Amino acid sequence: MSRTVVIGLGNPILGDDAVGLRVARALAAELSGVAGVVIKELHAGGLRVMDALAGFERAVIVDAMHTGALRPGSVRRLGLGQLGEARNLASTHDTNLPTALALGAMLGLPMPREVTVFGIEALERETFGETLSAAVQRAVPRAVRLIVRELRP
Amino acid sequence: MTQRITIDPITRLEGHGRIEIFLDAAGNVANTYFQVPELRGFEQFCVGRHAEDMPVITNRICGVCPEAHHLASAKALDALFGVEPPPAARKIRELLYMAFFVTDHTTHFYALGGPDFIVGPDAPPAERNILGVIRKVGLDAGKAVIACRARNHHVIQLLGGRGIHPVAGVPGGWSTSVTEAQRAEIAAIARQNLDFALFSLRLFETIVLKNPVYRDLVTSDVYLHRTYSMGTVDAQNRVNFYDGTIRVVDPEGAEFANYHPRDYAEHIAERVEPWTYLKVPYLKKVGWKGYVDGADSGVYAATPLSRLNVSDAMPTPRAQEQFEAIHAAFGSARRGGRFVPIHHRLATHWARLIELLYAAERMIELAEDPEITSPEVRRIPEGVVGGGVGIGSVEAPRGTLTHHYVSDERGVLRQVNLIVGTTNNYAPMTMSIRRAAERLITAGRIVEEGLLNRIEMAFRLYDPCLSCATHALPGTMPLRVLIRDCGGAIVKELRR
Repeated sequence: MSRTVVIGLGNPILGDDAVGLRVARALAAELSGVAGVVIKELHAGGLRVMDALAGFERAVIVDAMHTGALRPGSVRRLGLGQLGEARNLASTHDTNLPTALALGAMLGLPMPREVTVFGIEALERETFGETLSAAVQRAVPRAVRLIVRELRP
Repeated sequence: MTQRITIDPITRLEGHGRIEIFLDAAGNVANTYFQVPELRGFEQFCVGRHAEDMPVITNRICGVCPEAHHLASAKALDALFGVEPPPAARKIRELLYMAFFVTDHTTHFYALGGPDFIVGPDAPPAERNILGVIRKVGLDAGKAVIACRARNHHVIQLLGGRGIHPVAGVPGGWSTSVTEAQRAEIAAIARQNLDFALFSLRLFETIVLKNPVYRDLVTSDVYLHRTYSMGTVDAQNRVNFYDGTIRVVDPEGAEFANYHPRDYAEHIAERVEPWTYLKVPYLKKVGWKGYVDGADSGVYAATPLSRLNVSDAMPTPRAQEQFEAIHAAFGSARRGGRFVPIHHRLATHWARLIELLYAAERMIELAEDPEITSPEVRRIPEGVVGGGVGIGSVEAPRGTLTHHYVSDERGVLRQVNLIVGTTNNYAPMTMSIRRAAERLITAGRIVEEGLLNRIEMAFRLYDPCLSCATHALPGTMPLRVLIRDCGGAIVKELRR
């Protein structure tokens, strides 16, 4: 039975926005054969994330982030509480992660008890392109190591 | 005296939706600006690629409406390669598109637009979301919303070959046919969609229309703008989302233009503004007169309400009943065989539910059409025709979406231009925001409490999709409102 889901989130053709997908792909190679872990790539947040999380006990979400305060390529492990502080916003399209989780719980969907988010500070996320900027590219193996450590029993 | 406005190009580069409100010396609103982060380099990204890759590339522009891009792109390729898809392929494309419209309009109503009414426009933001809606209307309704999304995503996956980003659209048709078992399954889903659409309209009637406060809000002049309307219509001038001609009606409802999508450049011009990267489209033959209402102003809207405004009727019976009802509610009379347009922008929420109903009814028609299981789903193109230009359009949930490609004789792209749904509504959104600001700021007094949500309601009704730029953490579009006095100093900053 799969108990853990790792979701890489991002737009594959929007520069550093794709970093979550790259990390997910690298993890798929790293974790192949590890029982109980499913890796998914998603291109939209909100309710799509709720759908993808349902049925797992534990979740790790990897996404680009833009705090403006961190050096590009910085990797941060965030609990949902910390995300709450950062999110000073509701949503203009769909809904945000805490609301999506609360909705799943409200509707009686089996939502993960533990959700961890790895955010990677992006540099270029407004120009189309299929490559990551150098600093963000270097963050991929670091994020992979951190997540593997996180998932190791 | 008003402050001369200069906006530092560095501050323009922030990835924020930002609204700037400038006050005059008396403390009233002199001007407002709605700035949108624009994604750059899409054309450069595409030039040099094979045109036939575009349906898969363009549907990655954003995660919200990939189906619309996929179909507009496939249609542009039909034109570029000069191949008309067989009837079954056209119907499969439209069937997928109806499933998409059902999920997209459902999500907007229950997660975005509805909370303002169902939970209340002045409720705290933490409650004004889909959770608040469910607390109000019940768990079963919440489950119905999620089930509606899930079953239509399933249809999109069945027909499109992949869940979020369809891959089956090709020049000249569709890459797979529909089996009888799939057809029957989709028809059953479509009937469930019809029940759900009717349920949603009853909910709207009970909660909004029967509540005098909301009814007043919707029918008041708070968000009233008399502009031109744009939308795609069939040969009988009825709503169509997938194909037809582009009809534009003037503020009084008279037809101003009705053209083939390939002629869009004769009708639409794009204006460059110093304060934003996004171009502002307007009607070329009317001309640009600023962000103002009226028949002399080239401002137009392309929304669910606009699509009803350009149509003489709805093509399906239940949607037609609602079409009559919305016009009756706004006291819109028939003139010259058609209803006078509705300009109360909050009615867009109702119009969106009418479109949801139409999409459900049309989905049943298509799923029950025996031709949809025909194995003939593609005509193979022989090469680029007609000087290497392909233009295709569909109605995206957020407005007319046009893809325009220019290629060499081998089909290698030289130029790409897209006018996306939301862009059409940039001028009217700017006007609606200004109207809301004017009402809430007078003589320097700022009604802080309601301001942010009233402004948000002003643009939320257009269902703007800026999400392609903004789904990176911390989540979704950050919105900042800056209010500056006549000296340019910030007197208030609101953010969400």
